[in-house]
Amino acid sequence: MRIRKNTVVIGKVSLLVVLLLVGLTVLGCYGTKTSPEGGSGGVVADGTLFLAPSVKQAGGGFGCTPAAVDSKLVALSAADGTRFWEIPLEGSSSGGGFGCAPAATPAAIYGSPAVAGELVYVGGYNGKIYAINASSGVLRWVYPREGSLEPIIGGVIVALDRVYFGCSDGKVYALDAATGDIQQGFPFTTGGKIWATPAVSGDTLYIGCFDKKLYAFNAVNGTKQWEYLAEGAIVSTPLVYNDTVYIGSFDRNFYALDAASGRLKWQFPAEKWFWTKAVVYNGTIYAGCFDGKVYALGAENGQELAAVDLGSAIYSWPVLVDGRVIVATEKGEIYAIDAASNQETLLADIEEAIYAPLSAEGGVIYIYSQEQNLYALNADSGANLWNLTIK
Amino acid sequence: MGIGDIWNLIAMQPVMNTLIVLTSYLFNNFGVAIIVLTLAVNGIIFPLTMKQVRASKAMQDLQPKIAELQKKYAKEKDKLAKEQMRLFKESGVSPAGCLLPMLVQMPIWIALFQSIMRVLAVIPENLVGLSGFLYSWPIVYTTLPLENHFLWLNLATGDVFLALLVGGTMWVQQKMVMAPATDPSKQSQSTMMLWMMPIMFAWLTMTFPSGLAIFWVTSNIFRIGLQYFIGGWGGLVKSETKKPVGRDRKYKERIAQVEELPSGGADIVVPSSTQEEGSSDEESGDKRPDSGGGYTKSLRATRRQPRKGRSHRRKRG
Repeated sequence: MRIRKNTVVIGKVSLLVVLLLVGLTVLGCYGTKTSPEGGSGGVVADGTLFLAPSVKQAGGGFGCTPAAVDSKLVALSAADGTRFWEIPLEGSSSGGGFGCAPAATPAAIYGSPAVAGELVYVGGYNGKIYAINASSGVLRWVYPREGSLEPIIGGVIVALDRVYFGCSDGKVYALDAATGDIQQGFPFTTGGKIWATPAVSGDTLYIGCFDKKLYAFNAVNGTKQWEYLAEGAIVSTPLVYNDTVYIGSFDRNFYALDAASGRLKWQFPAEKWFWTKAVVYNGTIYAGCFDGKVYALGAENGQELAAVDLGSAIYSWPVLVDGRVIVATEKGEIYAIDAASNQETLLADIEEAIYAPLSAEGGVIYIYSQEQNLYALNADSGANLWNLTIK
Repeated sequence: MGIGDIWNLIAMQPVMNTLIVLTSYLFNNFGVAIIVLTLAVNGIIFPLTMKQVRASKAMQDLQPKIAELQKKYAKEKDKLAKEQMRLFKESGVSPAGCLLPMLVQMPIWIALFQSIMRVLAVIPENLVGLSGFLYSWPIVYTTLPLENHFLWLNLATGDVFLALLVGGTMWVQQKMVMAPATDPSKQSQSTMMLWMMPIMFAWLTMTFPSGLAIFWVTSNIFRIGLQYFIGGWGGLVKSETKKPVGRDRKYKERIAQVEELPSGGADIVVPSSTQEEGSSDEESGDKRPDSGGGYTKSLRATRRQPRKGRSHRRKRG
């Protein structure tokens, strides 16, 4: 009798505690994502589209814990989406943790892959850089060979036979493109996390940082040339055009700096953060902003030529196709802005969040949504040529 | 505008932006900002907390009498409810006094809890999401993203030491307010809660971002201080060694008064002024008419059993 009574008490208390914890967990985690899901865009080379989608594992952890996320690199036909090969990118274990904890370090990919010669390069949240044979999908090298770096959020670029990337550990790395060996003079240490993709022009590398600075340094030996202190963190990728570096910041300003000295040429105030890279066409800079507008600014003096309001935040990198700027909004609308008239046309509405950079080749725009769907749209009409779910 | 939007507008946005501004003024230290905001919120809702703690303490003091009533009227539910209500009324204790302040505080805690999770924004998706909650103040825009290191902690990941601290402080706090149960099943229930809650919270802390653990530890320490102020070390110290604190006289005097209620129709002594615990109440003594009879003989007999460590009992003059 006494044993039965104790069992009832234990059951009641356990139920109460579990209910309380479940409630607490769900309330606390509500609306927050606790595991990186990635948002990589595609890149097209020689008729092949390379994409690094996220692979959500089945089942999650307790409460609001998301499922673990893995990634892979996929090579597809740019014409019809036929899959040539795919290779998994290591980095996570299955299952989730308790509460808000992700399972292990996921290999979610945010930056688009880069193709140079016979290799395609990609960096992941799991702190690794992969070089993979573009034809066969065979892994050539991985950096670091042992262990991993802090999460790599930005993309990689290939220039001067080197692979450059910034890391959340605040360092900029340069690796030999063929072997993956770290180059002399690198890593270059900054004062904050780096989530931005670098840009190289000539032998100078430009990269923005959480410490509110834009750094310019010699891409060959890693010596610093100059730094510019903005008022907010910089996660967007610099655009280098006519000896000027154009960059947006979290301080809601868009800056034009002299590429040689870092001197401020002009700055343009917007209403919210700049995250995406700008594009330039015929002396006009097009910069997408979180306030939902694409600002058309004179490259020389920063004069506002137009502010095209697209209605929701712009996170994804735009592309230029035949004198038109193709922009995707966070809500999934794809617009074409005519560079001559600065008038926008709605090309398509996929109604899925778009964070990944857009890519275009041969009059086709490739869009990878956060719902893991890949769309190939006609750049003129917006017609859906084909689409695939890639998980 | 949905409920979620209203919640964001009146709760989430103010708390999140305050956290960010505090971080900016506190040398970009998010950990210190969490501590300061937690203490500030505790300070703002202090009157409510005080009311709740006092009411809980009074309820705790009434437990022996409630147990007696339950035993006596085990088969007469209506009578039991009536007697309990009368006991509450005559002792000046309202059961809602424990719950109401807690219900008012809950949304504040949930908003603070969610804000810490969101403001940390350690992955791009969260940082993008955060942008929708920001006021247009320049200081907010220039402070983000926040630095997530504080002392030895990465505020975005769990920490074993903090987990132990959360569990430890929670145990101390619970132990202080734990009522000594006479019923063995209630005793084992209380003991289980005393251990299970801190252990589960400690485990949870290891998997939540440390920023939340800082919030919990700060809240727990604040409450321990408050509890000590009101009722001393409570259940932490053995009854024989308890020192009289006499900080919460209002309820104690009323409860003591109920203990001394005469049977059927006698007058009830009501204190004219508050007195230090342990002092004589002989000089306090205006009278009010009975509202309908006192407690039964058997209950009185139970109540009159001497309680160790309680120097607050009132004597009849």
